[in-house]
Amino acid sequence: MIQQTDLDESSLVEALKRGESSAYARAVSHFSPGMLAVARYYLDASSAEEIVQDCWVSVIDAIQKFEGRSGLKTWLHRIVANRCKNKLRSSQREIPTDFSERLDPELASRFNTSGRWASPPKLRFDESADALMENEALSDCLDKHLSHLPETQRSALILYEAHQHKSEDVCNILDVSASNLRVMLHRARQKILLMVETFQETGEC
Amino acid sequence: MLMCRELAGIASDYIDGELSAGRNLSVKMHLMMCRHCRSFIGNLRASTELMRAHSSARVDPAVIDRISDRVSEALRDR
Ligand SMILES: [Zn+2]
Repeated sequence: MIQQTDLDESSLVEALKRGESSAYARAVSHFSPGMLAVARYYLDASSAEEIVQDCWVSVIDAIQKFEGRSGLKTWLHRIVANRCKNKLRSSQREIPTDFSERLDPELASRFNTSGRWASPPKLRFDESADALMENEALSDCLDKHLSHLPETQRSALILYEAHQHKSEDVCNILDVSASNLRVMLHRARQKILLMVETFQETGEC
Repeated sequence: MLMCRELAGIASDYIDGELSAGRNLSVKMHLMMCRHCRSFIGNLRASTELMRAHSSARVDPAVIDRISDRVSEALRDR
């Protein structure tokens, strides 16, 4: 889980401005996972890692101009997104996206032609999320399914849910409209739901 | 009347409180009458919480180490 409270941001920023290596070590381990998630929306894994490294190096100077208006995390994520967009612009790569369908195909097939459930949910997940996460097999399964999500959906899910960015920040960072973000989030959540359903029913991933 | 399929399509917007008041009311009415959709919404909500609880941004520690090394190097070279 991502802890929002265990870093005092203004004292961290001051230490970064002074170039303290221990502050950089803390900041790198705290913020890099989210920065990688942003970069992975645009780029393959190894280019994403390279971009995040480059961003940190640029932060060493750029931090002097950081005024704290946006929050350090949002600021870092914007730097990553801008670098990625520049890189894509120079290589002319397009990001494939499909925002036309709100329902996952597998879920869509579970309704009859009149729009009622033909194959309704068989059970209700009655354990709490924390209890569910104690099941290591389920946690591994979730990892696996997350890695299979289309990049766009995964980044939206990670930024919005795990990093708890506001919608407008996610839209800004990923360059999508608010309505397309809603579709991406919903599609990703349905995949997770279908995964948990199968896991609960069969014990298999 | 809102059908189950349509409700499933806007379920995340309902959970996140992003629906208009009218739309929200029609989802509520549907849920009062349809236990399948109640299960679905409950499960979608649970999945969302699961996702939040999961350290989804977990990355290979070696990747973080390489970033750290590069930053230390840049700090030294300043
Ligand atoms: Zn229904």
